[in-house]
Amino acid sequence: MSSTYENVVEVRNLCKYFPIRAGLFGRVVGQVHAVEDVSFSIKRGTTMGLVGESGCGKTTVGKTLLNLTPKTSGEVVFNGDTHLDQLKGRALRDFRPKIQLIFQDPYSSLSPRLPVGEIIGEAVREHHLVPENEFDAYVSRIMKACGLHDYQKDRYPHEFSGGQRQRICIARAIALNPDFIVCDEPVSALDVSIQAQIINLLEDLQKQFNLTYLFISHDLSVVQHISDTVGVMYLGNMVEFASKDEIFANPLHPYTQALFSAIPIPDPTVKMNRIILEGSIPSPANPPSGCKFHTRCRKCRGVCSQKVPRTLDMGNGHTVACHIYDPESGYGKE
Amino acid sequence: MSENRINNNEQLALDDGRRVKVLSPGMMVFKRFIRNKLAIAGIIILTFMFVFSFLGGVISPYRQDQVFYKTDSANKEYASAVVNNEYRFFTPDGAQLSTLVRANFSRVVKDAGEDDVAFEADGASWNVHRLGENFYAIGTAKELGSVTMLGKIVDVKAKPGEEISDAVKDAALKAVQGGSLQFEADGQSYMLTKGKAKSYTLGTMSEAGVASLLNFNAFSGEDDALVSGYGFRRAAELALRSGEQTFEADGEAYRLDSDGDDSAVIYRANSDEAMASVSNVIVSPMTTGATLEMDYKAAVAEAISQKQMAFEYVNAAGETEKHTIRMRGNNYIIYTEQQTYLIDMYAAPSMAHPLGTDDHGMDVLTRLMYGGRISLMVGFGISGYFGGWVDTLLMRFVDLFNSIPYYPMMIIAGAIMDAFEVPPYTRIFLLMAIMGIMGWTGVARVVRGQILSLREQDFMVATEATGVRVSRRIFRHLVPNVMPLLIVQATMGLGSIILTEATLSFLGLGIKYPLASWGSIINAASNIYVMTNFWYIWIPAGVLIVLTVLGFNFVGDGLRDAFDPKMKR
Repeated sequence: MSSTYENVVEVRNLCKYFPIRAGLFGRVVGQVHAVEDVSFSIKRGTTMGLVGESGCGKTTVGKTLLNLTPKTSGEVVFNGDTHLDQLKGRALRDFRPKIQLIFQDPYSSLSPRLPVGEIIGEAVREHHLVPENEFDAYVSRIMKACGLHDYQKDRYPHEFSGGQRQRICIARAIALNPDFIVCDEPVSALDVSIQAQIINLLEDLQKQFNLTYLFISHDLSVVQHISDTVGVMYLGNMVEFASKDEIFANPLHPYTQALFSAIPIPDPTVKMNRIILEGSIPSPANPPSGCKFHTRCRKCRGVCSQKVPRTLDMGNGHTVACHIYDPESGYGKE
Repeated sequence: MSENRINNNEQLALDDGRRVKVLSPGMMVFKRFIRNKLAIAGIIILTFMFVFSFLGGVISPYRQDQVFYKTDSANKEYASAVVNNEYRFFTPDGAQLSTLVRANFSRVVKDAGEDDVAFEADGASWNVHRLGENFYAIGTAKELGSVTMLGKIVDVKAKPGEEISDAVKDAALKAVQGGSLQFEADGQSYMLTKGKAKSYTLGTMSEAGVASLLNFNAFSGEDDALVSGYGFRRAAELALRSGEQTFEADGEAYRLDSDGDDSAVIYRANSDEAMASVSNVIVSPMTTGATLEMDYKAAVAEAISQKQMAFEYVNAAGETEKHTIRMRGNNYIIYTEQQTYLIDMYAAPSMAHPLGTDDHGMDVLTRLMYGGRISLMVGFGISGYFGGWVDTLLMRFVDLFNSIPYYPMMIIAGAIMDAFEVPPYTRIFLLMAIMGIMGWTGVARVVRGQILSLREQDFMVATEATGVRVSRRIFRHLVPNVMPLLIVQATMGLGSIILTEATLSFLGLGIKYPLASWGSIINAASNIYVMTNFWYIWIPAGVLIVLTVLGFNFVGDGLRDAFDPKMKR
């Protein structure tokens, strides 16, 4: 089943607009530009971190990727040839196990009326991934792999703690033997000690099953820990993308710089040099002209509010969308 | 399965999760449900209601529309009596006395006293001959001559042109000497009328009839004609007035039993069975069309003649009736403590009717039983209709139904059914159907809301992401999560439908008399008099409705909690 194609997922110019409807007949009066022109690719067995403020479109990228919400335009290609939006009915369902999702909230993501074993095994049975006589053993194995006891199979989700629930969610995803998992802020609802366990579990599973993650988070420390590449989003745009080491060592975009300056350093003697961003994130329904970040950017110039910045390749796989680095933009020349 | 793997020899730590027993979901729901005291109370109430309604109707000795009667004594005007002072005339077959003759008779007879009198009417000479007290013979007289008494010599002279035979003369002589004024000779009646001094006028007398104040009543209808016949009357009354015990009429012998005072009983000579009664009192019933027993009439006459103001009478059934007599003008009115058959309305609770009877004289307890049957049936009939619960596509349809005002609609439907004279049982089912059609929208709306909110929950997204097929998503994930809400809605709805049915029946649009429903029983309380005086008619029905609705709500709550795994075990 497993494809040998190097990039598990390739995203090209992905756009997702949500219509704003009003009036009696649901006339579309505007669009929420949740995701605009986002492109990236993830290599097999690696983790891409996706960071950004709340409401910048990280989760929408994840869901649009999985075709849980239909995209407006752009392309999402899995394993080099599968376009989810072109699959229908049975074919779509059959492909679903390859790409999985772990939710932010471990409480609402488990049906309160099914026992855990059933939650984990339901889709396995649905897709006939293992023979019926091996089913119990398979579910037990997956649960063990995720740090759960097999006697907990008959328990209901409400009998578990948040961390355990997140393990159940992970087990549900892992049980389908996926290639790719979208982790939508999987640890932000958990307390710190549990976060570490879950992160480690994800890493262990990645090695064990050769998984590819899209790790969506606003916790930069976690992203720094788990990711191989990092994308930074602001108001629906991917403003910077680079390998983890590159981006943390050399953040180029003013927004990335501001974001990274907020990473707490666990050393009280170090004086943090935080870049404080003014104001709040603008409405994606009515985004600012030109560079969307210009309303809050310290380095904003006239051109920033007029021209949409191009995405520049700064070498070494490091891309950034900022006029500062674009010699043709006329930044700082007026 | 997990229990199987626990080795008994293995020492489990106190906090080992395996110590917690795992129950099947069904058992857990059941266990949680039976731990809920209120739910159990609800179940008990509902069980009671079902037993009460469905079994009670079978056990109860009465039908739901059985009307009960009671006997009550009322002092009613039963009969009136009057002492007869109008002469009645009895004539031989075919003869009639003219009104003028009757009037003249009444005039002359007042002053007659002991004497015979005569009057002229209709161009004839009439003689009134006293046969006894208040008993006269009336006839036409023809003068033949005169009888004059001179000392011991009686001289009979014929009128010119008339002849008097010797036999008649002799008879006249004897009559005069014997003091009698009437005699018979040669088969002809003659009479003497007193004239001047010691002379009499002699004439033939042909009797046209008798006049009497007495009232004869035959005990059997067959004897009516005989008793009112001239011959019988004349013979019987003559015997009565002359104090004789027997008489003959039309060749038959009769016996007379008189206690004086114008009243008597007549028997046939060879029989002890009373044949007719004689009295000067006329007794007639107060209610038209009713007939009074002869014995009763006799008893009344007796009491009046004795001037008694109260008497007892043993009726045909052997019961002793008490009667009282009051004067009203010239009439006597007889009152009686009469045993009357009445519909047993608003009877107070008793052993026979533990909750009394209602305004139709029907047993309230029995009607409550049958009424519960209908109330519960209407409720469940509609819950069955809710079977098709998911209908989000028809929300506009729901809006349409919701915009029809419920009660006016039901009232119109009730009126239409009235107009078509729908039979009571058909009416129940129509009512259920209409209430179902009108009532499902609320539940549909609530369920739709719940489904919309569930659809956005992460676990539903997860089922989509894991590629679970739609039917499975609906029945494994959606339905179990909608279930508690649905159950609560349905059970509460049951309660409210019972209330609606009660409301409609109360308004007279639901279940129709004589079928009972709790609502129609409570309807009795719309009468302020019933409400304040006959609590046992409407309070039990009200209590049953309240209990049933409470029971449904308790059970609904209990089920919801039991279905919710987040509740404590």
